[in-house]
Amino acid sequence: MRVLLIGGGHSAYFAARAIREIDPDGHLIIIEFTREKVEMLSRTFPSAEVLFQEIDRVEDYIKENSELLDAVIAATESDSLNLRYCRVARENAVPITVSILNNPLNYEIFKKEKINYIIDPYRVITIQLFEILGAPVNVVFSSLVNNLEIASVRILNEKLLHELRSALDKHDDVIAAFVSRTGEISSSPSSVSLGGSAYIMGPREKIEKLLQLSRNVVMR
Amino acid sequence: MSISVIFPTKNRAHYVKRAVRTAFKAHRVEEVIVIDGGSMDDTIRIAEREGAKVIVQSDLIYPGKGIAMRDGAYLASCDILVYLDIDIRNVTPEFIEKLAEPIISGQAEFVKGCFERAAGRVTELVAKPLLRMFYPELAKFRQPLSGEIAGLRKLFYKVEFERGWGVDVGLLIDFYKLGARIVERDIGYKDHDMKPLHALTDMAYEVAAAILRRAIRDQKVDPRWAEKYMSGVRAMDLGLESERGFV
Ligand SMILES: Nc1nc2c(ncn2[C@@H]2O[C@H](COP(=O)(O)OP(=O)(O)O)[C@@H](O)[C@H]2O)c(=O)[nH]1
Ligand SMILES: [Mg+2]
Repeated sequence: MRVLLIGGGHSAYFAARAIREIDPDGHLIIIEFTREKVEMLSRTFPSAEVLFQEIDRVEDYIKENSELLDAVIAATESDSLNLRYCRVARENAVPITVSILNNPLNYEIFKKEKINYIIDPYRVITIQLFEILGAPVNVVFSSLVNNLEIASVRILNEKLLHELRSALDKHDDVIAAFVSRTGEISSSPSSVSLGGSAYIMGPREKIEKLLQLSRNVVMR
Repeated sequence: MSISVIFPTKNRAHYVKRAVRTAFKAHRVEEVIVIDGGSMDDTIRIAEREGAKVIVQSDLIYPGKGIAMRDGAYLASCDILVYLDIDIRNVTPEFIEKLAEPIISGQAEFVKGCFERAAGRVTELVAKPLLRMFYPELAKFRQPLSGEIAGLRKLFYKVEFERGWGVDVGLLIDFYKLGARIVERDIGYKDHDMKPLHALTDMAYEVAAAILRRAIRDQKVDPRWAEKYMSGVRAMDLGLESERGFV
């Protein structure tokens, strides 16, 4: 794979590590705007091609190389730049455009630009706190690539347990693992007690429907 | 030459419509950009409805006017950037045209707006004395802290943006260091919300830090001396621990 990663801060560092891990022999190009960081990145990622570029020249670079690139990942420390670079990548038909947000409040603004993948690095705060504090419903994973979602639901009453059981009976593309209050894990709904939780997985719309059911139960 | 007008703003929804509409009326203005500081009001919706390009500043820090100004420059695409505070009640298209004029006529690369108004307290008591000490060439500016400025977009990519209130004086010094020609333009009277005195302490601190950081960078103060003797000023505030560069 030939990936262009733009940025030299926190997000870019972790992005570069992830890319190296899944594709050690791929061609990783990193663009940065300050000479100091270019030097530092070259030392940290010796197999990557690290380029110094001016902020205003990156768009031309993307245009000139768009046919060679499999993905553009915008991970600068400014959401303005991330938006600009992803827009150009998309307009020049780079197959995969990814933006790593600095500020999750920009999610909707990026979505309107039809950027393929928008990563919100702060999402994990909500997910983990929901898990730790025992939220009634928690979307743990929502695939950006496939129509698949994983969520956890706390079994707070009989009605909810009943709804879950019948949904699992009805749809064979929805599966679940149950965790009892004492931590035992099982795949059989019959062994579930109140106060435990279920981790459910399946097509997004079906999972959302189940979550809505349990939200309604909780509300009542 | 085309103009991008940029408004950094936070929780000032009631000023947004008027500001954006006025900006679009000015000659040569091709885009209006609103950089929101994470407002809890309707700022984003109103700005988008009025046809502005909108983004939320990349860091949710307060004060974050500098981050917002940086993000505005990075989103903009016209030749000239004009920055205005959103809370100017008597704003007119002429404000923008007057600010941009010296650049269009080739007289300057950076323009500082100034106003007829009661002297700003932070301006008179902090910015001007420190500028006189370290950058006497800039002491002649009547309002070194004014947020009403214009400049060539390309040059904004070569300067350092302070994150908070130090941004305006920082830009003035950095444009000067770049060798840009700078003029001050009187744009009349500015009617806006005034801060109470106690709110000015942090602002004054950041303005002082922005000037001192540059004085050290430009070797007007020995950094070891500064760290040792300027008690109450953390080394970090002086930029001694942070990496240079802005992205
Ligand atoms: N995005 C953003 N804008 C800000 C922030 N702080 C102030 N502003 C805007 O910067 C401009 C100047 O701020 P203001 O409070 O009026 O300062 P003053 O005129 O010096 O008293 C206004 O348009 C504010 O809405 C911030 O943290 N983020
Ligand atoms: Mg004001």
